[in-house]
Amino acid sequence: MPEFLRKLSPLAFLTLVVLVAVTLLVVTESFTGPVVEKRLQQQIIDQMEGMFPNVSDWEFEDDLYTLYTNSEKIGYAFLATGAGYHGEISILVGLEDAETVKGVVILSQTETPGVGSRITEPDFLNQFIGVSIDDIALSQDGGLIDGLTGATISSRAVVDAVKQTAMDKVAQIEGTE
Amino acid sequence: MTGFIKEFAKGIIISNPVFILALGLCPTLAMSDKLENALGMSAAVLFVLLCSNIVVSSIRKYVPAIMRIPVFIVVIATFVTIVNLVFQAYLPSLYESLGIYLPLVVVNCIILGRAEAFASKNPVTASIADALGIGIGFALAITIIALIREILGTGSLTLGDNTLFTLPVLGEHPITILSLSAGAFLVIGLLLAFFRRIGVAKNE
Repeated sequence: MPEFLRKLSPLAFLTLVVLVAVTLLVVTESFTGPVVEKRLQQQIIDQMEGMFPNVSDWEFEDDLYTLYTNSEKIGYAFLATGAGYHGEISILVGLEDAETVKGVVILSQTETPGVGSRITEPDFLNQFIGVSIDDIALSQDGGLIDGLTGATISSRAVVDAVKQTAMDKVAQIEGTE
Repeated sequence: MTGFIKEFAKGIIISNPVFILALGLCPTLAMSDKLENALGMSAAVLFVLLCSNIVVSSIRKYVPAIMRIPVFIVVIATFVTIVNLVFQAYLPSLYESLGIYLPLVVVNCIILGRAEAFASKNPVTASIADALGIGIGFALAITIIALIREILGTGSLTLGDNTLFTLPVLGEHPITILSLSAGAFLVIGLLLAFFRRIGVAKNE
């Protein structure tokens, strides 16, 4: 075997091992992925029903849930993603109509335990209920939401994500009507 | 067959990874607060150890010497990721409570240690015995610690959503420090001392 080939063979071996490993992982993921996806979906629906207790039916189109009680429209719900201090914050936002917030729930977050993680507590989240989308901002920025002491980045991440996504969705709602 | 049993028994008592070799203490400290976490961790470690030992041992003659460690790490990381995906899909609450310690099984020195020190030099059957012995030895150790910490630290024992039993006096006045991090050090320290005492007595 020529010298350069012998030098390359360890590399070829490692590449082969990595290829086998990746194949294995892709196969496993194809089994477990849908299960996780389905549970996340169920989690969203449970939270949505908590926010709108008398929802009887919903439509899902373009990442927007439109909720009905006996074919009467009662609100909208959608997901928002905030850039938190440590990672993504996944948020479910409910709107009563194209202006007013019905509720905000944190689906998942990785903020600092005891500091940023307080964004999941009702004391913080209940502030959003009934607030007009225009007023969603931290109080120091002229809005109606009081940020958490020591966790301004996490609070602002939630506030910004809710406001930005809500404005996009309202444009989408008004565009379809 | 006697060789198989010898390799198997070795990991459980005379070279128990936690109590005698003092390896893998990070997950042992962190995940021994509850029986459920300890069992989840044990299952993950046992599975990864068994699979990585089998694979490492069967490819040991083909692995270029220079690529040994990288190849072992890829093998271990693959199995750890599989365990992660499976736990996330089918055991979500356990996945949540194990948190970062599940992916950290990749750097658990018990597993890389067995791949490097045993599986890369021994045939598959012996490697399986070694993995089972060390894996069960680890499981026993973390389970014993978790039982002590959960029973004394919370006054009751729970598995999933079921409370198995609640102790009469301790249920109302648990020794809370034992379920906190400091309690992990206390319990492991005392048990290490205890097993060291037994081990030393045997050597003499």
